[in-house]
Amino acid sequence: MDDSTKHILQRLMRRIPSQMLQTMLGKWAHLSREDLHSLDFTQPKWVLTEHLLALCEENGLRVKHITELEMIYIIENPNQGMWHGFQLLDAEEDAPSIELTQFKEQFKANLTELISHVSIKIKKHTDEAIWIRVAWGDNFTKPYHLKPTYVVHHLQTPYVFVTGLTSKYKPLLNQALVLATRYGSMKDAHLSGRNLTAIRDLLMRQYQQVFPTKNPKPLQEKNPVPRNPNIEKEQAENTENRLQMACEAFGDGTLPQLQKAVYKLETKFRDNSNKTLTGREEPFRGVVEFASTNLLESLRHCVSSGMASTPVTPLLSSITQKGRNYFVITDKGV
Amino acid sequence: MEEARKGVLGHLNMLEMEANNLELKKQELRQRGRQEELNANLQALLSKRDQLKAEIKANTSLQKMRTLLDRTGFPYERNEDVDNLEDGSDNSQLLLMMARHTQLKDLLHAHHLIGGYDVLQTRKGKGVCVSLATAYEGVYLETYNLEIDLGSDLRIYRHNIPPFIPLERLVTQGNMQTDIKDFLDTLSQYLNAYAGRKQQLHLTKEIHSSVQVVESNALCTILVLMFTIPGEKAEATLCTLQYADHTQRLPTRVNIESEDTALVSSPQWKKNKALLLETPLHTALVTMKKTGSIA
Repeated sequence: MDDSTKHILQRLMRRIPSQMLQTMLGKWAHLSREDLHSLDFTQPKWVLTEHLLALCEENGLRVKHITELEMIYIIENPNQGMWHGFQLLDAEEDAPSIELTQFKEQFKANLTELISHVSIKIKKHTDEAIWIRVAWGDNFTKPYHLKPTYVVHHLQTPYVFVTGLTSKYKPLLNQALVLATRYGSMKDAHLSGRNLTAIRDLLMRQYQQVFPTKNPKPLQEKNPVPRNPNIEKEQAENTENRLQMACEAFGDGTLPQLQKAVYKLETKFRDNSNKTLTGREEPFRGVVEFASTNLLESLRHCVSSGMASTPVTPLLSSITQKGRNYFVITDKGV
Repeated sequence: MEEARKGVLGHLNMLEMEANNLELKKQELRQRGRQEELNANLQALLSKRDQLKAEIKANTSLQKMRTLLDRTGFPYERNEDVDNLEDGSDNSQLLLMMARHTQLKDLLHAHHLIGGYDVLQTRKGKGVCVSLATAYEGVYLETYNLEIDLGSDLRIYRHNIPPFIPLERLVTQGNMQTDIKDFLDTLSQYLNAYAGRKQQLHLTKEIHSSVQVVESNALCTILVLMFTIPGEKAEATLCTLQYADHTQRLPTRVNIESEDTALVSSPQWKKNKALLLETPLHTALVTMKKTGSIA
């Protein structure tokens, strides 16, 4: 095993937390059972790393096996790094009937055509998601494995989720994906976050949405504030209405965990009391950012407790309705 | 002294008379007040009675109109009787509209009860919410919703239909603007077929644990299963089911591969192949287990 491979393995071992190490190595399945038993997981990590390096040398494992371990780790813990959502547009006739092997072949062929030194690994996860790991190289250098790009795609849906992609390789990846999925083009869905499951659930609408029904079952507030029965009786109808509107705008139950919503303003300044800024021709550039550990949950609570006015302003409800968290607001609209 | 007494007595008399007068006046006022109150009550009750009478009248004519409409069968067709009843005045036009409205509501309710879709008015009449229920083998599965904005053009602004159902394509192909019933019917077909295939897969996984699902996709149009053949050889057999028609719950192609080539061409397995094409997956597997084709 050459130095760069050792380096990759060492970096990877540092990244995987100690509690998960045993399960990961078990899933990796490139070490025999005796080898796995011989590893003592109570030792400090660097000792373990040395031992593992020795075992890998013995078994003649190479870079592609190490990257498999990395992929297993990332698939199990996808909620790290910054994920960006993309949407594929203009489906062609046979886009809905693409199947896995076809997609794999097409993607590999396209990408290797565009850039010759690239390492691609495609894996199908049990929940019908395709995971692709790409390590980029140049025409002259070998693929650089320390900064790979991960792509997640569900077949027959027009959405792609990417992390770790630099702008240099973005057009290449775009083209390969577009050709392999038989769509016309790919655009930025303006949705990003640290939590892959959250942005996936939001774009593919896999959270619990609420619609007006004839027999609404009463929606219960999960964390009721301390109550005064007289106030409650008077405000019962209002509270119910607000809760219904909040849930219709944002969803019911556990919501996808978004961390940020960014509104970039490019509108003209309107307040007449400020002498320096009024009357300028160019738009007033400002950025409003909402940040929270669980943004949708906090927005829903704002609406249901009355802090935000109802009906829910479309600026906020667009986060869930359009599935994005980056908006540019001009005078003509969003 | 007598003059003083006369004065006092006279004064007292005067006071008594005034008191009596006041009493009388008060009584009169009270009576008048009571009378006015009763009058007001009377007026209120009379107007209420007139209102109720008008409502009864409207309802009976509505009922008559409705029975006429029901008899004609279609709410859209004009009928001579209906035309005759219409004397062109605004009243009867309104009545006709109201009758049609109640008929439509009853029709929708019946449709909803048999598991079709249901339409609800939202946003004070500016939008509708269509709920499409899906069911398979008598069991209700997911309900999907569409919220449509009733502007000059119909526009779907919110829905919870999964992204692998080609909604935009159905909107343009099905002419949602002109023939919404056609669009909803096709959408319901796609959704019900998808729910049926998903349910078949779910039941297969639950009931037949010996059958391994090697590959499946979100739309449930491609399924690869691995069977174990009973016997000493116990070789793996792969069965690929393709559902090319997304509006159907049965596969369009079944492909069986096995290391034992004789198995594939045996009459028993040819029958199994036909069985998989014609019956739902989980029932087909039950039959195959009974005949001993698979473990």
